[in-house]
Formats: sequence, structure tokens, C-alpha cells
Amino acid sequence: MNIKIRNTLTEIISAAIAIIWMYSKLNAAANMSITSITQVLVQGIGISILAAIFFAIVIAIVSAIMTQSKEKNVVDERDNIIEFYALRLSSVIFGISLVIILTLLGWFNLPINFGIIAITFSVFLASICSTFLKIYLYK
Amino acid sequence: MAKKKINIENFVRKLRFNNNEMTQQELADLVGISRQTVVAIEKYKYTPSLELAFKIALAFHKEIQEVFYIGK
Repeated sequence: MNIKIRNTLTEIISAAIAIIWMYSKLNAAANMSITSITQVLVQGIGISILAAIFFAIVIAIVSAIMTQSKEKNVVDERDNIIEFYALRLSSVIFGISLVIILTLLGWFNLPINFGIIAITFSVFLASICSTFLKIYLYK
Repeated sequence: MAKKKINIENFVRKLRFNNNEMTQQELADLVGISRQTVVAIEKYKYTPSLELAFKIALAFHKEIQEVFYIGK
């Protein structure tokens, strides 16, 4: 497994951890205030960033121990192209999910709490889908 | 003609071996790309930009058409 795929896996793991953590905290979202929901979502984003840093360090150390060498992480034109494709996919997924969420909110007359949560989750979903695309392109 | 996809292939792998069995990492360091990109170029999975193609050709002291060619 090369360094690019390892870094991408780190992104997926950290996003998945943040989603699971937020999901566990937002069980009673209908009864929660906007302030408490926002706090959970901000904490979730913070957790995803911290998890990404933590796993990047751990995976780099484990990989260096296993392979007995330190692989350089050079970013070149191919990485930029793959990053661009991933960004395009995540924008499309986020755009589509945003339209669906707004439609559902209006259709079923749902509280705005669900809208905020769904938008945040769709950001993470878009991020995970784009990282899967990156893994596919790096393979 | 304009819409027909052109398959650009190369002799990078062959040229590496002809240059004292240069490793993929050595070529990557020479032209400033990652080893994974060298692998992708050798497998024809990635077509480099014109600038990178020239850099690779220069690394082997060749003309660009001696490294890259249009495949079938």
C-alpha cells in the first residue's frame, strides 16, 4: 500500500469516526435546541480533524516500522488532477444532497434541526465518496 | 479525427533499464514526481503533461519523441 492510499484511508477513517460520534450524540435531535446541535456538529468536525492528524501520525509510524523506510510524500501534477476530480465529485454529491434535503424539509415540513444535521452529514458523505474515488484513481 | 482518443505510450521502463538500471524512485527524484506517478506512466495509466514529458526525456538525454509515441 503506497503513501497516497494510506493518506486517503486516513481521511476516510477520520470522517467515519466523526460521523459515528455525531450520530450517537444526535439521537434526540428533534428535542434538541439549535445551539446544542451546532455544538455537537462543531465538535464532530473538530474530532474529524484531530482523528485525521492522529491516524496520519500512527499510520506513518507503523508503516515506517514495517517497511524499514520513510516514503516521501511528493505532490505532483497527477495528485493535483486526482484531487481536482475528487473535489468535483464531492461538489456534485453535496449539491445533489443539498437539493434533496431542502426538498424533503419543505415536503414533510421537518424542523430546521434535521436540515442542519443532514447538511453536515452530506458534507461528510461527499468527503468519503471523494476519498473512495481517490483510492480508485490511485490504484 | 479530432474526437478520436490518442493512446500515448512510452519507452520509460526500457530507458530506465538502459540507464544503469535506474530505479523508479531515482527517476521520480530526478524529475520531481512521486514514484507512484512513474509507475502509472510506465503502465500507460497516466499521460504526463507536456512539461513533465520533456523533463522525463531530458532525464534520459533523449528527444521527447524518442520517449513518447502514439500507440495503436
